[in-house]
Amino acid sequence: MKPGPRTAAEAGLVLCEICGLLSRPANPEEPGHCPRCDGELAFRRHHSIQRTWALIVAAAICYLPANVLPVMTTSGLGGADEETIMGGVMLLYTTGSWPLALIVLIASVMIPLAKLIALAYLLITVQRGSIRNNRERARLYRLVEFVGRWSMLDVFVDTFTVALIQLQPLMAVLPGPGVLFFASVVVLTMLAAETFDPRLIWDSSTERTTQNE
Amino acid sequence: MNEKTDPTEFPQAVPVPKKRMRLSVVWFIPLVAAVVALGIAVQAYLSKGPTITIIFKSAEGIEAGKTHVKYKDINIGQVSAVGLSEDYSKIEVTAKIDKRAEPLIVKDSKFWVMRPQVTLSGVSGIGTLLSGNYIGIEPGKSKEKKLKFIGLEVPPVITVDQPGREFVLHADDLGSLSIGSPVYYRRLNVGQVIAYGLGKDEKSFDIEVFVNSPYDKFVQSDTRFWQESGIDLSLGANGLTVRTQSLLSVLIGGVAFEMPPDAAESEPAAANAGFKLYSDRTAAFAVKEKEIQRYVLYPQESLRGLSVGAPVSFLGLQVGEVTEVGIEFNPAAFTLRPRVEIEVYPRRFVAHLSDAATAARRPRTPEERHAFWQRLVDRGLRAQLQSQNILTGQLFIAFEYFPDAPKARIDWAKQPPVVPVMPGGLASIQDKVTTILTKVEKLPLDDISRDLKKVLETLDLTLQDVNKMVVRVDGEVVPDVKKTLGTLDQALQNADKMLVRVDGEVVPEVKKTLEDLQKSVTSAQRVLANTDAALLGPDAPAQQDLRDALQEITRAAREFRVLADYLERHPETLIRGKAQEKP
Repeated sequence: MKPGPRTAAEAGLVLCEICGLLSRPANPEEPGHCPRCDGELAFRRHHSIQRTWALIVAAAICYLPANVLPVMTTSGLGGADEETIMGGVMLLYTTGSWPLALIVLIASVMIPLAKLIALAYLLITVQRGSIRNNRERARLYRLVEFVGRWSMLDVFVDTFTVALIQLQPLMAVLPGPGVLFFASVVVLTMLAAETFDPRLIWDSSTERTTQNE
Repeated sequence: MNEKTDPTEFPQAVPVPKKRMRLSVVWFIPLVAAVVALGIAVQAYLSKGPTITIIFKSAEGIEAGKTHVKYKDINIGQVSAVGLSEDYSKIEVTAKIDKRAEPLIVKDSKFWVMRPQVTLSGVSGIGTLLSGNYIGIEPGKSKEKKLKFIGLEVPPVITVDQPGREFVLHADDLGSLSIGSPVYYRRLNVGQVIAYGLGKDEKSFDIEVFVNSPYDKFVQSDTRFWQESGIDLSLGANGLTVRTQSLLSVLIGGVAFEMPPDAAESEPAAANAGFKLYSDRTAAFAVKEKEIQRYVLYPQESLRGLSVGAPVSFLGLQVGEVTEVGIEFNPAAFTLRPRVEIEVYPRRFVAHLSDAATAARRPRTPEERHAFWQRLVDRGLRAQLQSQNILTGQLFIAFEYFPDAPKARIDWAKQPPVVPVMPGGLASIQDKVTTILTKVEKLPLDDISRDLKKVLETLDLTLQDVNKMVVRVDGEVVPDVKKTLGTLDQALQNADKMLVRVDGEVVPEVKKTLEDLQKSVTSAQRVLANTDAALLGPDAPAQQDLRDALQEITRAAREFRVLADYLERHPETLIRGKAQEKP
């Protein structure tokens, strides 16, 4: 196998993640603080895998009520209607605007799920020390990180609608408990993506090459 | 063996850094999430009430996930699925009921689909126009649980907690009644019709009414119910009488009940007691006849216009009614003849007799009654078909006296006995009308019209001639007239000239003549003055004679006036002479 480029950790150096300064650690156990920006230094993020797992599990738990519980309650003159995310998708689809239905389905249902699966995949491969598809996995990680911020769209729409449509007693829109869980899913997956240290992806391959030498 | 050992010969222990199996605090996050999610799940499971199935005829306005189940306008559940029944004939609605409403779902609970309803008696369910239909529930009183129900097609009118009682009315026809029709007691709306359907005999209707408390206690065993059409018109000797209920009942009708005025107070009727529903107030309060006698008539004329229920009157008072109208076939003689069966209520006769003593002497035994009737028949009492209304041709049976009628006997052996009949008045009128029509038919209308036409033609010709003549006069005579007028004008001018000449030549001569005349008059005056003295002196003989003569003349003149007056009054005396005065 073609050995990858040397990493800073192999060279006994540590990179500050904040200002990007490469420095020698105070001692290998506790690298200390960055001489330039005083940020805490670490060869790898602390407990990255464990924390990411915790966040992903939490997000997965929240994903279920986010889709089952109503995100929005529309109360009109006659009564109240509770809408779940999938209900909204079905409503849009049945009323003929399937492109919108598709957008909502992708943005609100599939992307959070895909993020969870992608992060879990990355974690498992890292834990198993896989050395294959390093670049693809890195690309996947970048994608997950990029997409994360857009997933809050649903929550924004929900809060705007609730704030704007308050025509009591004719009509009012109230937030449902589902939106809380949905927001939790988004925030937790974003944090999970943040906690995951992508450098772990290459560490295994470096170790392998070291062992092979 | 004192061999020193080199410590380096021993293998070096591998230092293994202690793995700190420290659980990160971050695991607290999924823990919290799990607890919260679990909590929600548990709560959802605990609040899950029964899932019931309701069968409806149609799923109109029912939507899975949208339609709610409401009790007193509070959401207690939601329809989760709508599907066809196994035999595709009905709709099965599956609804999830909240845990808190579970006690409402019992064996005798009723479900219906609440839709907007606009009836004459009111508007209901307007809210459903905006919110969509919902399923209403009226909880039952049973303790038994049930999960499968058959939905009502129409909302029930009465809710269980309303005090009052239900009664069942039997009617021949439904009239204008429908569910929700008002029930009146002395014109006060005290209840409504809650259901109706065919009775057990499938010939009459059973109408269930609900009378609110406290008016339900006025429904007693003697209470009469009748259909209230709203307007009651009656034409009597006092003129037109109009009785109306409230405007609402004028529009939609209703049921009214009251106690008969002479009924004694009794216990309120039991719930679900049955009553007869009369067609109107008069029928409801009509006195039930206790004594009935039947008779048969065989009229000789057409029975057109005689219907069952037509009155039988005795000298104009109603004493019975027609019960049967038909034709009797006599196989022996092979003849058909009209047959009318009547009922006579002897009590009515008694009621009409003012004197109680006379009433007491009325015939009691059949023999007495037969003799009584026979005596009436001997005096000429006969039944006759008479016309109630000349326009509609309605007939009734009248008992009247016809002293000239041929003798008749009532055969009491026959049952019912036959009453002798007098040919009807209507038939005779018809005969007369027919005679008149025949005469009219015989008139030579054709000839008359032909003559008339001829006359008119001649008149036309004459008028044409006259017209021609006028035209000719216009052309020929008018120029002559014009000429004549011109000549006349000339003559007048000549006359004018002559007058002027007369003025100049004749007037002086006339003046002279007048002066001469003046002179003559003066001398005549003188002569007269002399004569005056001779004639008019107090002792002048001429004077005396003249006075006598004048008196004579005055007398003659008076006589003459009398004669003139007489002649004026009796000018015929000039011809016939003075009439001799009658002795």
